Amino acid sequence: MSTDLKQEVETWLAAHWDSENGRAVGSSDYDQKSWLTKVVDAGYAVPSWPEKWYGRGVSPKEARIIEKAFQARGAKGWGRDRFHLGAISIFKLGSEALKTELLYELLTGPICCLLYSEPGAGSDLAGIRTRAVKDGDDFIINGQKVWTSNAVEAEYGMLLTRTDIEAPKHQGITFFIFPMKQDGVDVRPINQITGEDEFNEVFIEDARVPERFIIGTLNQGWKSFQTAIASERLIMGDGITSRLRGAAGKVPTLLALAHKHDKLKDPVMRQEIAQAIAYRQLNTLNMMRAKEEMMKNGASSLASLGKLAMSRIQHGEARLSAKILGPQILLTETEDARNANFDAAKAYMNSIGGGTDQIQKNIIAERVLGLPKSTDVSRNIPFKDIKSG
Amino acid sequence: MPDFSIEDRQAICKTFERLLADKCDETRLREVIETESGFDKALWAQMAELGLTGLMIAPEQGGIGGFIEEAEAALEVAGAYLYNGPYISTCVMAPMLLSTCTDETLAAPHLQSIAEGKSIFAIAGCAPSGDWTAELNVTANAKNELSGEAGFVVHARNADHCLVYANIGEDVAVYLVKMADEGVTLTPHKTDDLTLRLSSMIFKNALAQKLEGVGAKHIQTALQIALVAQAGEHVGATRRIFNLTIEYLNTRFQFGQPIGRFQALKHMAADLLIEVENASSAARHAARAVAAQAPTSNVLTYLAAFTCADNFRTVAAEAIQLHGGIAYTMEHPAHLYWRRAQTGQWLFGSSDRFRDLYLSQMEKTL
Repeated sequence: MSTDLKQEVETWLAAHWDSENGRAVGSSDYDQKSWLTKVVDAGYAVPSWPEKWYGRGVSPKEARIIEKAFQARGAKGWGRDRFHLGAISIFKLGSEALKTELLYELLTGPICCLLYSEPGAGSDLAGIRTRAVKDGDDFIINGQKVWTSNAVEAEYGMLLTRTDIEAPKHQGITFFIFPMKQDGVDVRPINQITGEDEFNEVFIEDARVPERFIIGTLNQGWKSFQTAIASERLIMGDGITSRLRGAAGKVPTLLALAHKHDKLKDPVMRQEIAQAIAYRQLNTLNMMRAKEEMMKNGASSLASLGKLAMSRIQHGEARLSAKILGPQILLTETEDARNANFDAAKAYMNSIGGGTDQIQKNIIAERVLGLPKSTDVSRNIPFKDIKSG
Repeated sequence: MPDFSIEDRQAICKTFERLLADKCDETRLREVIETESGFDKALWAQMAELGLTGLMIAPEQGGIGGFIEEAEAALEVAGAYLYNGPYISTCVMAPMLLSTCTDETLAAPHLQSIAEGKSIFAIAGCAPSGDWTAELNVTANAKNELSGEAGFVVHARNADHCLVYANIGEDVAVYLVKMADEGVTLTPHKTDDLTLRLSSMIFKNALAQKLEGVGAKHIQTALQIALVAQAGEHVGATRRIFNLTIEYLNTRFQFGQPIGRFQALKHMAADLLIEVENASSAARHAARAVAAQAPTSNVLTYLAAFTCADNFRTVAAEAIQLHGGIAYTMEHPAHLYWRRAQTGQWLFGSSDRFRDLYLSQMEKTL
């Protein structure tokens, strides 16, 4: 069965994907829409979903066979049942009508952006203030979102809004699939401390979204959101393991840098470098063990440690790189110094993004170690009475 | 050598766990460490009955034919109970060195006797400096007479035999002596870790038997498996003291609530969990690599050596802090773990030394 499937996919790819030029056979350029349409129509974009919803109804294991065949040829459009968070949420939580209306369009277009965090709601995400007010068959949206990647390309965003300010904060939230290409949606890139601008701010002023685009039910958006974020965490975990797999076996970057700058003779430096390399290797070993546990038991609490562990690794490596370079780190004239300063800033991406280390520690303490939950003084009072600032 | 499945290994560990829960609970452990010998002979006999003393000995010699992965797993159990018998010297290092000896008539009876629980071995493997990777002080002559001093010998007073590492010309070799032999004297030391029994050994023209065929390479392998075994012991102890601490955070009330609700303590606990899991991963992957004779076995052994030792000390130290006043008493077990953790940081050489060796292994990839 699985060898047949592999053969079938490879035959299909050979006929349709020009891996040398990275485009569809017979076309002169890579056109995302037309290629994705081909993949979706063939059932390879979301193979683990039923045929009715553009899949093949195969097991996750068989789905990986298809993904691997695509990856091996550098073909795009695979694994949208794992990575297209907007489509996954509609598939899991949307009504029959909403799936019929949007699913095909979402799967054949760019991925959705995530309109979750706000300037006043970061760690405490249930405190979002972007309002959605009913107006006929639509809701009118006003507010500001932040830390949104892919906001420029995205045709749709997954939007968390406040629909009931009288209810406690978790009970007045509604989750929408929101059309981005309309008046009243203004995307501005954020100038990050690394010099990059992968994230955006999204200002929303009197924009509209049809009521039928609610994911889940009105005012029960927090629950729908939990489903969406669970899919996202799976991707992040997967990203960590595949990235580390890529780094395995190579000379550790720090070691190469210390060697180049002749710092491997200093016994104090040796201790620090060895420990920094060890932290990274230990995390790799933990993630390998997490994978084994997941294969065996279907779950592993180890996986939740990776991101927190990575903060100590990245900040530590950045500090040590600076130590290796010495006062050269002050100048932007060498590539080593530029990289080290970039990495030092970029380390905050891990220790703040996707939940700060401190939030992560609360989660680990409560969910993995079973310590009592911290009290949220704003949890059971009407949203409008919550202090902000 | 029979192949052990994970299930076999778990079965051995379960049996061992039941035995220790019954015969080496905190009350019994405290009784044992108060005695002069610090060694529970009756418990050792029961371990032998269960096959634990012959864990790493071939079935032909009366053992059950396990290797380092089985020993690492068994020592995780031992560590949890702070079991302090001469297991690593007698059941891990001695079998490895004896089974390498080309003179089977010399080695086989000893292996048999270890498996049966009748013989206890000490290893005099380092100079008075305590560094197992440094130059030895004991020297052998062509008549197999040993002279010199060895330091930090564990359970020497409870052992009937001792394997002695000695210089012979430019080489090193391993010699067998009986503790009662002429020219062998030992001086027991007082230790801060109450579970530990350490002696210095002085050899004055002590007539020994040479383990033919055992040289520097095998001494290195013996150290490697000892480090992995000890790493397993650390992991078991680390996890136990960590779990006791988490339990306390859930049950100790102050300000009308369990203290585990306070973020200052939660964050310490989450940080420590990383140290606990890092140690587990390091010990198990090292055991697996050594068993498979993988090219990474040296790197992973050194990694496990310093990580498991340091993380045990860190977790035990923070366990005292997290408990507060109750753990500042001799009655509370936390200090037993904390003291034992310091032992682990020095027994076969310092963590700093192994960290440096780890880096040296890495440098080979440059």
